[in-house]
Amino acid sequence: MPSFARDRLRALAVVASCVAVIVVAIALDARARTLRGRALREQNAAIVRVTGLSDLALSTSSTWLRHPSLAPASAGASDAPLGLDVDPAGAVIARRGHERAIELQRQAP
Amino acid sequence: MSPALLAYALGAMRRRAGRNVAIALGLAVVVLAFATVLFTSEGLRAMSQAYAAEAPSLTVERLVAGRASLVDVADAARIAPIPSVRSVTPRVWGYLYLAALEANVTIVSSRSVTTLEQAPLEDGDALFGSDVARALGLRAGDRVAVSVANSSGDEVPVPRFVRVRSVLDPSSALLAGDLVVVNETTARELLDVPTDRATDFVVDVFPPEESSIVSADIVDALSGTRVIDRESLGRSFELTFDARAGLLSATLVPALLALLLLAWERLTGLSDEERREIGVLKAIGWSTSDVLSARLLEAGLVAAFGSVLGLVLAYLHAFVLGAPLLAPALFGWSNVRPALVIAPATDPVELLMLLAAIVVPFAGISIVPAWRAANVDPDRLLR
Repeated sequence: MPSFARDRLRALAVVASCVAVIVVAIALDARARTLRGRALREQNAAIVRVTGLSDLALSTSSTWLRHPSLAPASAGASDAPLGLDVDPAGAVIARRGHERAIELQRQAP
Repeated sequence: MSPALLAYALGAMRRRAGRNVAIALGLAVVVLAFATVLFTSEGLRAMSQAYAAEAPSLTVERLVAGRASLVDVADAARIAPIPSVRSVTPRVWGYLYLAALEANVTIVSSRSVTTLEQAPLEDGDALFGSDVARALGLRAGDRVAVSVANSSGDEVPVPRFVRVRSVLDPSSALLAGDLVVVNETTARELLDVPTDRATDFVVDVFPPEESSIVSADIVDALSGTRVIDRESLGRSFELTFDARAGLLSATLVPALLALLLLAWERLTGLSDEERREIGVLKAIGWSTSDVLSARLLEAGLVAAFGSVLGLVLAYLHAFVLGAPLLAPALFGWSNVRPALVIAPATDPVELLMLLAAIVVPFAGISIVPAWRAANVDPDRLLR
């Protein structure tokens, strides 16, 4: 194999080694962050047990995002009546009960 | 794969360095955008699922005219006798608009904060979420006035002083950054909730598998209520994050298509020099598959470099910098925003699928022009 080809392969090996080092460093960092995140979640779960609120504080003034589970389905629209409908599917938890059976009843005249 | 082919591909890469660097950078930007969405949404999903697992078995709220209304505390006595119900707790919580912040904070009552290593809260004492405390410039021991609406008929809001018992750890900001935890008396005062009313009931069910049956019994016992179980809560978060991540990814698809179009345009127009190069290779005895292999290696190396660069940047963007380019799309409107500190929770298979969806079409379109040129008679290519 000519020397210029060997030089090219050597350069590729150096670049590949650098990339491998970076990838391994990121994998180790990711593992450390994952373990730290798990420990923090366990520690912060105490706040959920105390308050009973498990929703993430992604927003405090858009109630359908702050507590989507406990907000009525129309909360997004009521906070900004002229705004676009935001997260219409994710924020809805339907009522369950006998209403549907009751409302399906029909009486002939 | 022979080393000679690899060496040739490296030489070809260097000869077309400008074009290859431009394409690799374009690829890196697209991978950065898609991978950031994946990293962030998966991190938030893992966090919300972990917290949802600690949520109460059932939450009972009352709907009046389609809106959540206050429940009657006396109704707890109608839920308590249902089999498998271990406890029923009326909970007082809600939003309080702070004019000084121009934002809502979440006031929540707690009967016991001992699990947070705190002594029981006295009237007027509060644990502040780190973001509210930072926004108001509060430290433990400070007293802050809050204007409270009063249903007693006074026209002007009444100032109420709240003492900062302590500030919750900043690491809890994504969960509790906007919370103000107080005792029940203070919560009633701040939110103007009468003593015979509460925001909702928290029902503890054991065994948890009985939740759906208990839920149906509660609806039977208390007409007009909505019962939210822990599983629905988890599904609700999952749907929300799926919808948001899907929407964001959908907006990024044109960027991917633009990159592929650019790559196609750049790669299909083989220059005279490249045609001559392929002609020389064929003339000295390279087979069509050798030419294609060299071309695929060149495209693969460019794609690998671009993808790794994009992934590294996405990792730094999402987990080290807190996704500053993405956070505004994930967060709603508010003056009190937690820092987006999330831990990696992405499944490697999902990451590989993402890379495959971007890199495979790229490698595919780079082979087509080489295959077309490699099938032409070398004599024609050299003329």
